[in-house]
Amino acid sequence: MNKKLALALSLVLTIALLLSSAAVAEDLPKVLYFGQAYAGTALDMQISTNSGTASIADLVTESLIRFDDNNELQPILLTKLPDVSEDGLVYSFELKEGVYFTDGTELHSSDVKFTLERLFNPDTHAGSTSFFTMIEGSTAILKGEATELSGFETVDDYHFNITLEFPFAPFVKNMATSYADIFPEKATTEAGKQWGLSTNLIGTGPYKVKENDDSTEVVLIKNENYHGGEVLLDEIHFIYYDNADTKLLAYENGDIDVSDLPASQLLQYQSLYPDEVHPYNPPGTYFVHLNLKNEYLADINVRKAISLAINREELIDTILNGSGIPATSFLNYKIPGHDDSLGVYEYDPDQARQLLADAGYTEPITLNAEVREGDALTITAVQGYLQEVGINLNISIVDSATWTSDRSAGNIEVTSLSWNALFPDGDSQFYTYFYSTAAAGRSVFYASEEFDQLLDNGRLNTNEDERAELYRQADYLFSREDYVAIPLYYPQNNYLAKPHVIGFELPNLIFHFWNTDVDAAASAAVHGN
Amino acid sequence: MWRYIGKRTLLALGIMLCISLITFIILNVIPGDVAAMMLGDFATADNIAQLRENMGLNRPLPVQYFSWLGGIVRGDFGTSYFQNRPVLELIHISFSYTVVIAVSAYVVAVVLGLSFGILAATHRGGVVDRLVMHLSVFGISAPSFWVAILLQLYFGLQLKWFPISGAKAAGWFVLPAFALGTRYAASISRITRTSMLEVMGQDYIRTCYAKGLNRLRVTIVHVFRNALIPVITILGNDFGALLTGSMITEKIFNIPGVGKMLIDAINRRDIPLVQGGVIYVAIICVVVYFTVDILYAVINPNIRLTKDVN
Repeated sequence: MNKKLALALSLVLTIALLLSSAAVAEDLPKVLYFGQAYAGTALDMQISTNSGTASIADLVTESLIRFDDNNELQPILLTKLPDVSEDGLVYSFELKEGVYFTDGTELHSSDVKFTLERLFNPDTHAGSTSFFTMIEGSTAILKGEATELSGFETVDDYHFNITLEFPFAPFVKNMATSYADIFPEKATTEAGKQWGLSTNLIGTGPYKVKENDDSTEVVLIKNENYHGGEVLLDEIHFIYYDNADTKLLAYENGDIDVSDLPASQLLQYQSLYPDEVHPYNPPGTYFVHLNLKNEYLADINVRKAISLAINREELIDTILNGSGIPATSFLNYKIPGHDDSLGVYEYDPDQARQLLADAGYTEPITLNAEVREGDALTITAVQGYLQEVGINLNISIVDSATWTSDRSAGNIEVTSLSWNALFPDGDSQFYTYFYSTAAAGRSVFYASEEFDQLLDNGRLNTNEDERAELYRQADYLFSREDYVAIPLYYPQNNYLAKPHVIGFELPNLIFHFWNTDVDAAASAAVHGN
Repeated sequence: MWRYIGKRTLLALGIMLCISLITFIILNVIPGDVAAMMLGDFATADNIAQLRENMGLNRPLPVQYFSWLGGIVRGDFGTSYFQNRPVLELIHISFSYTVVIAVSAYVVAVVLGLSFGILAATHRGGVVDRLVMHLSVFGISAPSFWVAILLQLYFGLQLKWFPISGAKAAGWFVLPAFALGTRYAASISRITRTSMLEVMGQDYIRTCYAKGLNRLRVTIVHVFRNALIPVITILGNDFGALLTGSMITEKIFNIPGVGKMLIDAINRRDIPLVQGGVIYVAIICVVVYFTVDILYAVINPNIRLTKDVN
């Protein structure tokens, strides 16, 4: 009898204990701590083009449409994706009713109009206007000749039309970027130049800014009245780290739950925390950038020889610890138009030497490379490969400001970098860098009428299958016939996430937390909150 | 004395003017276009040219310099290009962090430096003396970033006694204070030891002992006090150096002080913030060294008289 009583009592106690601990876990706040580099700009995505800033701002301010975790377009502030007129010029939008900014004002068509006009206003100093200059009247505002956007027609509080100057197929995709986040007219006007600084950022998003010291940490809290349904986390702390090693120490110490992981430290962390290292592949390409105005690089034989001289697989295995996929062309494999039938670029130093000799280069060629610190290791490996075939590469490592300025001025002969599309679309990866007018301002100077025409057609054609074919042709011309740039690999980035972080996905470059949750009890055990 | 102070003030103003001019020239000579940096990857050449025009960067350099100098005279240090906030406000925020690190590192440096210096001098030639001197060589030689990383690994990650990075409360400054302070403590201890040994060899110290005064009293009241003059000079200089920001330590411990602010501003070519920050650093240096000079003249009238004669 006593045994049975003791058993029953212990069972009751165990259940009570489990229930009470479950109740405690339910009461615990769900807080996520995220470590990232300091961007040093306001959280205003009209001014900033930084992906780190977008990770924060996009949780507060929303665009009308956005890409979900599968890179599919979803109407966020709209009842449905916009209707397009037959001529592809007029887009009709219908806003959801009852969507409120966190200052209590309702989202109306006037806010969208205000947002776009602010974007084009020269006083805003926006860095992303080129994504939207197809809107009728935008150029007049940019030039200071108008203040109203003539291509914006307000039908009523919830309906508006946007007219383009010419058909532009990726327009809806561009409207889904962070640069088209919608701001409340009243609050933004009142904040003036302080918009995006401190807690001066108000949107319709799932979170609102609780604290922001503009230098060390931004704290977001749940928007209890979010129009899009339940918000999973109570708080997200974005902690800025300037020093990547300090950030990783903070991760190990449990100060942060998520951090990016440089390829150089991949093996170490894979052995230490095998379940916490997660790879993701942004839709981009790491490549050697060549200036076609250079006397040697103007010769396609030299460009082809450079490509033949580089052993991409070896470079990925050694320098990157396997964090990358050997490139088969410039267009990333995630982007429609990428030709899966192409093999990895051939590695054949003998053929490279022969190609140079046949082209009359009997003496070694000397080229000058200018790279930023983060690209030094890769370009040094490239330097070694090129030396084998008779090309001397002098490397200068400069800071970002110098590099940007020299590239704009057309002064860079060779450099290397990763160029990522904002979303999987050939226009996003090609146009802003290699279209003839853009290439001239980026030290490339590629001017092919055929290539430009293919990109132009890709912008005009609204049929996605036909567009993919246009980008396939453009990619082949660019990567396999003209050897404009030397694609090395499709990057694989890595991040660390603690086991109590649930549902963290990375569809592209920008870290988002729309579907991220945390195990509150496990998190509290780490952070003590 | 007043003449001496007047001369030093005029000299300080001249130095500040030269520093402002040199900073301005360097910032405008080095490559890097702030407009291109501000607009980012997607800007067109037209966008960049228009922004340069709007920001007044196409004006002749002398016009830009005197316009900025006029602002400084009126107390307006300009507005940060990237943060859209008054430079003075940003400096004040950063300075509040730098002051805390500087003062705490200074306390570590002075307490450890003087204690070990006295200990070494009073145990001259013994084990303690040799140990302190070896430690001080190590302290001077070890780079502060290396000490910082060791402290983070051991006292932060392993023992969990102190936070690894950040600046939220007093405890967060302990590791930065030691990372920064130990190097200064090492030099202070060596100077203190040398200066004390010099005083200890004086006749009047022997007289003190002959009069029957106890060892502690002689050491503190007669030796240490008289050995302080060279130590004070070092202490003043060290405090000036600490107050002007400790770039590497601030970066490692993720503290948004003046040093980190300046590095960020230089990397982005945020010219008003760099110029304002450099002028601020110059003001701190000039004021600290000026104060040390005056104090030195007060403590040691020989210096004042010599300079007046000159």
